[in-house]
Amino acid sequence: MENGNKPLNSSVIRIEDLCVSFGGVPVIRHLDLEIGRGGPTFLLGRSGSGKTTLLRAINRLNECFPGSETRGRVALHVGGAWIEAYAPGTSLERLRRQAGMVFQSPNVLPLSIARNLVLPLKTTLSLPDDECELRMEAALREVHLWDEVEDRLAVPASTLSGGQQQRLCLARALALRPEILLLDEPTASLDFKAARQIEDLLAELKSRYTLVVVSHSLSQAHRLAERVLVLRDGGSIEALPENVFRDRDALLAVMDEIV
Amino acid sequence: MTRPPRLEEKVVRGFSWAAALAVPAIVGILLGFLLWRGVPGLSLSLFFGDTPPLDAMLRSAPVFDGLWPACQGTLSLVILAMGLAVPLGIASGIYLAEYATGRLRRVLSFCVDLLAGIPSILMGLFGFALILLLRKTVAPVANTGLLLSALCLALLVLPYLISTTRLAVQGLPHALRLTGASLGFSHGQVVARILLPAAMHGIFCGVILAIGRAAEDTAVILLTGVVANAGAPSSLTGKYEALPFHIYYLAAEYQTPAQLTQAFAAALVLLGLTGLMFAMARCLHARLDKKWKTGTSH
Amino acid sequence: MSLTTNRLCERVLFCVTAVSALSVLAIFAFLLWFAVPVFRGEALGSLLSWHWRPLRGEFGILPMLTGSLCLAVSSMLLAYPLALGLCCFVHGAGAARAARPLLAVVRFMTSVPTVVYGLVSVFLLVPIIRSAFSGSGFSWLAAGMTLAVLIIPTLVLLIDSQFRQVQESIGQTAAALGFTPVQQLLRLTLPLSRRGLGMAATLGFGRAIGDTLIPLMLAGNAARPPQSLLDPLRTLTSHIALVVATDSQSLVYSSLFACGVFLFLVSLLINLGNQALRGRRVSDD
Repeated sequence: MENGNKPLNSSVIRIEDLCVSFGGVPVIRHLDLEIGRGGPTFLLGRSGSGKTTLLRAINRLNECFPGSETRGRVALHVGGAWIEAYAPGTSLERLRRQAGMVFQSPNVLPLSIARNLVLPLKTTLSLPDDECELRMEAALREVHLWDEVEDRLAVPASTLSGGQQQRLCLARALALRPEILLLDEPTASLDFKAARQIEDLLAELKSRYTLVVVSHSLSQAHRLAERVLVLRDGGSIEALPENVFRDRDALLAVMDEIV
Repeated sequence: MTRPPRLEEKVVRGFSWAAALAVPAIVGILLGFLLWRGVPGLSLSLFFGDTPPLDAMLRSAPVFDGLWPACQGTLSLVILAMGLAVPLGIASGIYLAEYATGRLRRVLSFCVDLLAGIPSILMGLFGFALILLLRKTVAPVANTGLLLSALCLALLVLPYLISTTRLAVQGLPHALRLTGASLGFSHGQVVARILLPAAMHGIFCGVILAIGRAAEDTAVILLTGVVANAGAPSSLTGKYEALPFHIYYLAAEYQTPAQLTQAFAAALVLLGLTGLMFAMARCLHARLDKKWKTGTSH
Repeated sequence: MSLTTNRLCERVLFCVTAVSALSVLAIFAFLLWFAVPVFRGEALGSLLSWHWRPLRGEFGILPMLTGSLCLAVSSMLLAYPLALGLCCFVHGAGAARAARPLLAVVRFMTSVPTVVYGLVSVFLLVPIIRSAFSGSGFSWLAAGMTLAVLIIPTLVLLIDSQFRQVQESIGQTAAALGFTPVQQLLRLTLPLSRRGLGMAATLGFGRAIGDTLIPLMLAGNAARPPQSLLDPLRTLTSHIALVVATDSQSLVYSSLFACGVFLFLVSLLINLGNQALRGRRVSDD
């Protein structure tokens, strides 16, 4: 398995022989890869190459879509130990809390800002009220949203701007104290300024969480990525060497050729 | 580049205008006639006859020649019927929207659709058959009454509740379910904590419309225990009066002009009741929606 | 919520739904059971005759069957064009500003109790018919007109939602191609709505044939097939209501249940017809 120039000091996600199909149509075929601590690790590839499916295979969200079939092994190193994502005894809910996900378009719940954060804490972790408040504030501070919303927490979350909503979704995932963050084109639906804010945030978060980012933007990968993996039509995955993705022209050239 | 309208377009246009004018005109005539004949009869004595209102309401003084017993009967019926139908209907609607799949879902849906299409008189006949069966077997003194009517009315409105609940839940965006799953909610938690609150206004509207339907039905209660004179509903197995039947009875058997006026006034009262239910359903729609969005309580 | 709690909830919900669904089977079973004495024996023959004379042992319900069909078909013939015309008005043939108040009026009509329609017709429509034509006024005509008014809102709301669906998918395209609203209605919306229009018709027909109170109050209740619009008639539904009110021997009751079985089968047929019109989309519903 190629891993480029930098050896992985510790891998956090190991995927072996992953095959995912929907309604009989294969989307990912016999994929092997390792994702290391921190990152961000960027997943690039053509539309339809299965990047989002791959991401969703990690937190088993593909199962929410009808007709999905997954075979293979996905192991995550969380809570100090390795867990098998697809083992029968694995708690699906715990897995999804530990590998938090942020979607392409901000999917705030039709609730107030505060309730967006507190509802998952109360429902999945059964935390008492005061603990929920503490975590909520901590998460909002972590995404630099606290100052902007602290005086209007009861307001519907849908009134926030796109960038703010996306940060809220990030805070919502962070409040559950994950170790891994899966980001599916997190800046795709945002304007330039909001996108930059998210990118700066990711740069901060990478020291505390393992980030896996699916992206369409080569310049974003160029700016942010620690590692770049290119997915080719579900079949193979190639790690781009650092000297390639740190150089804009080289990156463009390689991507043109690959996809 | 427009060309002059062809003949068929003119015909369609003319016909549509005729229909659009005819229907409101009919409604107007209907309402006008009802108001003309009914308003003179509206008064406190319409409800309570000669008995003082407070005595009738608080001390159960008998009311003759007034609508109050019929109102009490209708109220009791509706409360009982909804008490039976609402939990059953909402639970079934949720099951069909979120849990049932494939063949099971098709079969159950077909049964519910069939139930919806059954003429109301057959619900009454079913109740009647139930009593005949009980008479022949375990309870020879069984007779039609309040509880039986409530049961049959519950069957009547059950498909409404199931359909509106189901549509309300199915109409929610798929993203909600995905978000819930990604946060580690189990399916049950997604349904209970996210989907159900989001669908609540739709479900509530369905409940209110069902209340209106139960209040106005005459065919079911005709066969299951309503009578013209029974006073206030005394027990679950006794006979009772009801507003729609009172109107029907007076229309067929009135003996004085005053009684006829009473019939029209009663019709206004019933129309006011069902119209109110209807208006509430449309109002509460927006209010509940807003309440859940701001969510002040945890 | 643990896995077992989840499973328990699902089981409970399933049982509840099963009860709701089975109730329809229970209704049919009861009706059938009580109709059995009539289906056996020579009473069956008399059931399918044209004479209802219980005192002479004749339990023919064909007059009532004819009455039901005549009434339902005639009221549909009145109501459907009006409903369709109104929807055409709202969706292109008329003023767009009048759409909302018009639909509000129609929605209001759905909240009017059936007995109120009946009451107004008895004291407004029947005297008019009586003075304009001969007879008592309680006739096929009176019941048909009132029943038509009763089912118009059902039809309008169904057809309107169908037009809306089509409008959403082709509205902008049609406008961009230079269609006027009337042209869009005539050339696109109506042809594309065939299935929905059919479904509205079947559901409206079901509603018309299942009503009890209008024929009971307005149709005169003679147990003979009507020869003209001014003749009285009796439907299966009003027949059941009338006969239960009288105390009689059990064979009469059995014939009632036979009526019930007929009505049930009619609504089953209507449902199947509706499903057929919906086609393979059944699995989504």
